[in-house]
Amino acid sequence: MVNRPTNQSQSHFHGGLVLRHHKKSSCDPAVKSAGIPNKLMIALKANRGVAAEPVVKIGDHVLKGQVIAGPDHPFGTFAHAPTSGIVTAIDEQPTAGSDASEALTITIKPDGQEQWLGTEHKCLPENRFEIIEQIRQAGIIGMGGAGFPAHIKYQQDTATIQHNATTLIINGAECEPYISCDERLMLDHPVEIIKGTQWLIKAAEAQQAIIAIEDNIGGVKKQLDEQLKQQQIHNITVVKVPTIYPTGGEKQLIKVLTGQEVPSGQTPLAVGVVMQNVATAKAVYDAIELQRPLIDRVVTVTGDSIKQPRNYLALIGTPFAHLLRLADCQDDVDKLVVGGPMMGYAMPHEQIGIEKTTNCLLALPKDCTKPEIKAMPCIRCGDCVKVCPQELLPQQLLWYINGNGQANDLEKAREHHVFDCIECGACSWVCPSHINLVDFYRFAKSELTYLDHKRAKADQARLRHENREARMERIKAERQAKRRQKTAQLADKDSAKKEISAVLQRIKQQTQETADE
Amino acid sequence: MNKTFNTTSAPHIPSRISVQKVMLWVCLALLPAILAHVFYFGLGIVLQMILATTSAYLFEWWCLKWRKQPLKPFITDLSALVTAWLFVLCISPIAPWYVSVVGMFFAIVVAKHLYGGLGNNIFNPAMVGFAVILIAFPQSMSLWLPPSELIGLSQTVEPLSFSELLNWIFSGHQQTQVDAVTAATPLAAIQTGLQQNYSLSEITAQTIFGDFGGMGWEWIANWLFIGGLVLLYKRIITWHVPVALLVTTLVFSTPFYLFNNDVFMSPLQHIFSGGIMLAAFFIATDPTSGCSSNRGKLIFAAGVAILTVLIRNFGSFPDGVAFAILLMNMSAPLIDRLTIPAPYGKKPGALP
Repeated sequence: MVNRPTNQSQSHFHGGLVLRHHKKSSCDPAVKSAGIPNKLMIALKANRGVAAEPVVKIGDHVLKGQVIAGPDHPFGTFAHAPTSGIVTAIDEQPTAGSDASEALTITIKPDGQEQWLGTEHKCLPENRFEIIEQIRQAGIIGMGGAGFPAHIKYQQDTATIQHNATTLIINGAECEPYISCDERLMLDHPVEIIKGTQWLIKAAEAQQAIIAIEDNIGGVKKQLDEQLKQQQIHNITVVKVPTIYPTGGEKQLIKVLTGQEVPSGQTPLAVGVVMQNVATAKAVYDAIELQRPLIDRVVTVTGDSIKQPRNYLALIGTPFAHLLRLADCQDDVDKLVVGGPMMGYAMPHEQIGIEKTTNCLLALPKDCTKPEIKAMPCIRCGDCVKVCPQELLPQQLLWYINGNGQANDLEKAREHHVFDCIECGACSWVCPSHINLVDFYRFAKSELTYLDHKRAKADQARLRHENREARMERIKAERQAKRRQKTAQLADKDSAKKEISAVLQRIKQQTQETADE
Repeated sequence: MNKTFNTTSAPHIPSRISVQKVMLWVCLALLPAILAHVFYFGLGIVLQMILATTSAYLFEWWCLKWRKQPLKPFITDLSALVTAWLFVLCISPIAPWYVSVVGMFFAIVVAKHLYGGLGNNIFNPAMVGFAVILIAFPQSMSLWLPPSELIGLSQTVEPLSFSELLNWIFSGHQQTQVDAVTAATPLAAIQTGLQQNYSLSEITAQTIFGDFGGMGWEWIANWLFIGGLVLLYKRIITWHVPVALLVTTLVFSTPFYLFNNDVFMSPLQHIFSGGIMLAAFFIATDPTSGCSSNRGKLIFAAGVAILTVLIRNFGSFPDGVAFAILLMNMSAPLIDRLTIPAPYGKKPGALP
């Protein structure tokens, strides 16, 4: 038995899929450098974060490792020149994200000199704040996919004072088929990953770290365990988790390893966990011990259109076309996917640069991709319920979002927890009616978010309007009250006058009468 | 140089599951029971299957044309086949031809397409068809054949030849023939018996009764059970509906039986007679007209069982499965609303 870091025995998350791995062909060959392409396109964004501001101009000569864009926002990250060269363009370009959405991109034409920026040798960080700052300076973001700036995960607890991260999980469970870059990295750099993990333990002030790997990869655990034993490290354990998609999902992996569920809408910190990808751990090692910012990463180039699938060490910004040519890509590509086949994004063309989060380029010919058949109606078979790792009712969500001929009822979708969907695609995959369910959930989420935004704005406007109305009403009432008082006073004066004059007249009459007598 | 690629959304790799395959497995799982039916009650059911399937597909085709739906995907999805086969397993194998035609009209046209076609029906189509037949042609439903096990034993009943069967179904039957070749269904026999103030033990001493249910019937139930296991194994259905339905039937009928076993059937008689086994594995498991959450499925199936037992024990129809299913179909959306499961991270008792 492995020495389990937690008291609970390994638990399971609900549902999931057993998929064919397709990993071996790309994992077996050693990592090869992709070299320097003729241009690099560095997109200035974290996947869901905020764009960084360029600090270079067109025509500038930049050195390898030089900062070319800095964060203007706590979620923004630094970008560094992956090699020396000349900035040829700073403009909006399609990126390797969802729908190849456009973002500000710095294009560098490499000069082939690989001239490093001379940096003064930094001392190793003394405390967690220095570690976090060095991680930030190196432009490290979560390299597993979501692209969350790495340093934020450790800053959070200082902001809320509540310091409760006890476990650091290093996620080596790449559950999507085809992708093998993390496995390759663990095989090639166990020492670096362990050292990076130790720095991250210090940054999080965690008690222990778990390196989670899937049970279908053989050699990795042995290698990591040997290193841990040699270096007599006791607070890091390597744990195998069952290969069930999406076991590498943050929430699912936490459930498997700790038995706890991250409360809806909260970060893993709520259950005392900080999670980081293995590639991120390696990047942290590079940043702290080699003073090397994040300027390259291992990318799996694979798929049935690729003749020689393997992992490449590619500079950030390397165009897809360059990698595809190196890997001998055939002409029959139907889909070029960034990421895995379950959640990856299909790219419209190959003139897009890889990002810090790009773990895989998947080129699939027509006969390997999902055929474009017209979806049949949902028969409510419930297969989606069985596989949903978030324990949702996908078919009910579809019913309310699709509306079935009537107006859709997105609020019902909210009641059915659409915001807890992690968009893993398991439901779409098993659907016998071939309905692309996740598309519907994405639509509902964005629509509801938009509606909420609009409603919040409308509420604000209404409140403002109501306040103004009330103010006007009050002023009017005050004015009226004043006027009433005045007229009342005036009226009072008149009656007094009348009374006086009446009295005077009476006196006059009386005096006249007496005079007459 | 700048090639463009297909940008449809994830998942990008295909799975090999389809509506057609689901329906095909349901049909295959029904086959053992149909073969048993042929063994015990002759080729009547085969003729009824041909009749029902043909009329189901004619109605399906007509409705699709009329609703301007694409023909090919919906004709080939095999859902009409499932409806037809479930229906014929409920009706008498010697029912006249129009029974199947009318039943399929109500199943396919009214219950399925008027509600919006595949996936949108509130009621189980086969049960709608069967309920209409039960009410419209009660007499033809009470005329069954005796099981073949009996034919050798008794002098009073003789088997129908195939040509006689054809005649019977297509041109009606002579009243004189009726007594010679037919027998009541076990549940109908119990009901008539009870109405005539016989006790249950006297009634079940009749030759058409077997160990638990009717002779032959109980074996068809066994084969349905095995077909159901196939569906469970293929993960087309989950355990919730069959287990809840059968267990509730046993548990709910026990107090009645203990209270007065002269009038109320034993729990096992309930299970092995009529449509309970078919409902447990093939009808209450219909996902379209049933509940979606696991808790909902349990409630739905328990409701079917309770209503069936109540109708059998106190109602004016011998069997109540069809009505129980339809009543629960109506309640399914409400049950669904009340049983939305708590997803990951929202379970009560979890961390704040």
